[in-house]
Amino acid sequence: MSRAGPGELSPAVESDSPEERIAARRLRIAARTEARTRLELGEEAQEQEENTEEPRTSQKQVDQSEKRMLKLQTDGTELVTNILVAADARETKRRAQLAEARRLRNEKLENEAKSSLEKFEEVTQNWPVAKAKEIPQDLRDALKSQQQLCMLITEDKNKLINELQHELKSSDDRYVKELKKQAEDVDLMREKMQEQMTSLMKLYRQELDLIENSFDDERKTLLTSNLKKWEQQRKERSDRELEHLLQRIKQKEENEVLLHRLRVANIKEYNMMKLNLETQSEILQQNIQKTKATNQLNQEKLEYSRHVITHRKMETIHIESLQRKRILRLQDSLKNLKVKCASQEKQAQEENQSLTDGYKRSMLEYKDMQKHLRHFAAVDAERFEEIWLMNENEAKALVHKVLETDRVIYEQFLGLAWAPPHMPFMENSGPIQPQHQAQRTAQQFAMQALGEVEEKREMEGESSTAEVAGLDRRTVKKLLELLCDETGFLIESKLLKLLSPLEKDPQSFIKLHLIFSALGIENEEDVYKMAEFFEKYKQQQKDQPEEGISVSNENELVREMDSELVHPNHVVKALHAFTAQYCRPRDLQSQKQSSVLSLEERDDSEDAAYWESMANVIPESKLKVWNALEDALSKYHTVLTERSKILTDTHHLKQQNAELTALLHQYLSQKGNTELKIPPTLVMQLTSE
Amino acid sequence: MPVISMSMGKAPAGINPPVKMLNPAADPRKMRRIIAEDPEWSLAVVPSLKNLCLQHIVNHFEEKPILNELLPSQKAFVLEKLPTFLPLSLTANLISDEGYWRRCCEDRWGQRDVSEYDLSWKRMFFERHLENIIELFIPDQTEPKSVLDVVPLCQNYVRRLKITQLLPPIRKPPKFNEDDASESASDLGDDGPSIDHFDFRILLNKLTNLEELQLVYGVRGCGMNFEWNLFEFTFSDCQFLAKALQSCTTLKILKINQSNVDDDKCRTLVSNLLDHPSLLELDLSHNIIGDRGARALGKLLNRSHLKQLDIYDNKIKGPGAQALAHALSKNTPLESLNLRLNQIGDEGGQALAQALLKNCILLNLHLGANELTEPTATALSHMLVHNSTLKRLNLSCNRLGEDGGKAMEEGMSHNSSLLECDIRLTGVRLESEYSIKKHLHTNQAKGRQDTAASR
Repeated sequence: MSRAGPGELSPAVESDSPEERIAARRLRIAARTEARTRLELGEEAQEQEENTEEPRTSQKQVDQSEKRMLKLQTDGTELVTNILVAADARETKRRAQLAEARRLRNEKLENEAKSSLEKFEEVTQNWPVAKAKEIPQDLRDALKSQQQLCMLITEDKNKLINELQHELKSSDDRYVKELKKQAEDVDLMREKMQEQMTSLMKLYRQELDLIENSFDDERKTLLTSNLKKWEQQRKERSDRELEHLLQRIKQKEENEVLLHRLRVANIKEYNMMKLNLETQSEILQQNIQKTKATNQLNQEKLEYSRHVITHRKMETIHIESLQRKRILRLQDSLKNLKVKCASQEKQAQEENQSLTDGYKRSMLEYKDMQKHLRHFAAVDAERFEEIWLMNENEAKALVHKVLETDRVIYEQFLGLAWAPPHMPFMENSGPIQPQHQAQRTAQQFAMQALGEVEEKREMEGESSTAEVAGLDRRTVKKLLELLCDETGFLIESKLLKLLSPLEKDPQSFIKLHLIFSALGIENEEDVYKMAEFFEKYKQQQKDQPEEGISVSNENELVREMDSELVHPNHVVKALHAFTAQYCRPRDLQSQKQSSVLSLEERDDSEDAAYWESMANVIPESKLKVWNALEDALSKYHTVLTERSKILTDTHHLKQQNAELTALLHQYLSQKGNTELKIPPTLVMQLTSE
Repeated sequence: MPVISMSMGKAPAGINPPVKMLNPAADPRKMRRIIAEDPEWSLAVVPSLKNLCLQHIVNHFEEKPILNELLPSQKAFVLEKLPTFLPLSLTANLISDEGYWRRCCEDRWGQRDVSEYDLSWKRMFFERHLENIIELFIPDQTEPKSVLDVVPLCQNYVRRLKITQLLPPIRKPPKFNEDDASESASDLGDDGPSIDHFDFRILLNKLTNLEELQLVYGVRGCGMNFEWNLFEFTFSDCQFLAKALQSCTTLKILKINQSNVDDDKCRTLVSNLLDHPSLLELDLSHNIIGDRGARALGKLLNRSHLKQLDIYDNKIKGPGAQALAHALSKNTPLESLNLRLNQIGDEGGQALAQALLKNCILLNLHLGANELTEPTATALSHMLVHNSTLKRLNLSCNRLGEDGGKAMEEGMSHNSSLLECDIRLTGVRLESEYSIKKHLHTNQAKGRQDTAASR
């Protein structure tokens, strides 16, 4: 359709005006959709088109011939069935006749039967009459008459039989005739059917020819019109093709020129490329040679290494077998060992049994021992008291002696008045019962710490222990508060609920109580320990991360910050470390003590002090005095001894002097002195000067 | 075709060739290059091994049937050469090729029309084979086994049995002294039990595809040996047949013609056919069914799927027709009723006409030769005004008379559905006949248009 476009005055797509182009496109789209639908509908659509297009001639012809043929057919069948109908009619007539004849015959038979019955009755009536007759002649006459009557009856019957036989024969004839007639009818029917067939065939053929002719005509007209159209379009097409051809030739020439040019350029390029590639290939071949050589080398190396590996493999196989053997051996030994182990276990069990028995025995013994121990302890205590009393008496005597000497010293040597010192222990007799000065419990301490912050200054003065620990109460308080806040998990949740309505102070106090009990802190010392530990911990913490940072200690605020001790987040860790470090050993100790000294334990801590006080009856100052006195006396003594010595010495020296002077006088008085240049007397004068 | 026969004769000789091949020049065939008249000729001097093998298969097909293992072309070759006298037990279920069965049929019965058998030569062969066996079956003499042996072979292919005769048992003693005893025997029919025909009970329930059964209890072509008892349909025959029919559930068409079916036999047949699952057509024409039989048939109409009932040439009178009319008035599925050559009279005709006022299924009604007169014609014309389903009506050979013709004319003028109305030989005047025909033509044209439109 679209091809036919340019021939007609339809709008062209390549037209100048835009409207025309739009129209052309629309037409093209419509044509395409139409073509598609036609394809979908297929042949049916084509047939429909034909039917719609040509009802004029062929369809009319077909209708006409159909009507004609139908009429002919019905006429023909009527002709044929006429025979049937006629036969039917004849049959009915015959049946009616038969029925009529039968009726007549029946009537006749009935009449006959009636009449014959009458006659028979007449005959039977005559029989008694005949019997009554006694004369033979009469009897004969009667019999004759009877015979005649019987004859009449039989005659009648015979006549009837004859009639019936006649009728039978005639009906036989009729049957034969009927058969003949029917055969004729059948022949006629066949003939007529044949005729009908032939005529119908002829007519059908004629009609078929007619229809064919009409179809032919139609086809011819269609063909001619289509041929015309075809010719026209072909001509158009050839024209267009010529045009295209010319265009193409022109284009071809142009293209050839272009091609030639391109070819030359390409050849040049190709040559260049070829050269390049050849040089490259040479290089590559060289490379290949090299790699081949290395390959060879590698192969040899690999061969060698393969040899080595095979050798190794052999070795490993050997080792493997050895190992396997060993494994077997070891497995054997393992089995043995298992057996042994089982036996050992048995033994151990037995042993265990015996040991448990022993243990039980020893437990019993132990209990006995304890009993003994207690007994001994009681005895010891008695003895101790006795010894104590003895010792005390001795000590007291000594003290009295000392005091006496002291008094002597004071009064005689120093000339001072002596006052006896205060000695409370002298009144004591027997082992002292130490008045346990109960340490303040941690709770109390906490209470104090929390409640009496204001009184801190005064307390500071009093509580020497706190001073000793080197911690001020403020930090302790802070620590406690921290504990209170951070270690709530140690307290039971139920208790927390119960505590919630209380005020802050009592609440925190109870909390602390609980926490201490959980941590195992019992007294004030422990609290201080803990505070110290925390301080240390903080120090460590600070040392580790804050080395780089210069903390300005001058600032009060910073100190305040420091006094927060530990960062709340680290409290738990610190506590953990603390409990690990301190609480455990103490626990052990306490356990030991409690187990061993189950008896009434005597506190001998005061004893030493007691004895000490007794020993220290003479105070230090007095001792110093004593010592000084001793020193002075000893010095005096030495001086005295020296004086005595010196006295004796002087005595000696005086004696010697006297002797020596005597000697000198002797010498000087000797004659030789005068003869000497320098007399010794002179020298002696000189020296003496 | 001597050439072909020679080639055929030579084929087995080709199996052991050496001696005869010695002198090729003696055989004129050997001297020629191309033998155009022989379609099986090939250039090869020695037949190919393939052909030899196939020929061997053909020759020994009876001992060793090899067919389905072959390739299609080889199969065709073998089937073409197989002899038609092979035992049926071998070929029945093995060969389905139509060509082979066509050869069998043509060898046995000559040229036949296969279009009656759905163009299936195999079906034709087996149906005709079974029919032949049954038609030649003589009770007490032929073994029932001879029939039963064939049944398993042909039960898949038999659709229709058209039995045109059933032989009675041969009675030896009366035949010896035929001269004096024949008449008395034929008239009296003394020995009752032995004249029963073939018992269908052994056959019908085994034919699983049977759809049509046509029976004639009589002897065909007896000629001058006519005896009444050759045509006797005994009561026990009837009972056996009825039982057999009841067991055959695929049957669609049943025809029992010219068999002296009377009222009692008709009733036994009907009582066994009641509620039959598939029966569509029943033909009991050319019998002697009376009113009681007609009443039974009316009952059958109400209790079956019958579409066509042919009971022409019987002895049905008014009451029987009334019974049928009563059944029709209940709108049975019946489409065609043929009562030709009965004696229903005006009594039955009026009853039928009234029944058709209520019926809207019946298409064809044949009342030809039924002693109908004017009152029936008026009743029918009244019916024609109201009924719009009846297409064909046959009233030929009734004495309707001129008044009846007028009544019919009037009835027809109000009817638009009737396509055919046969009123030949009814004494109707030409004018009314013409007007009726004209009206029928218009109805026919309209019907044609309707069918064309529906197409």
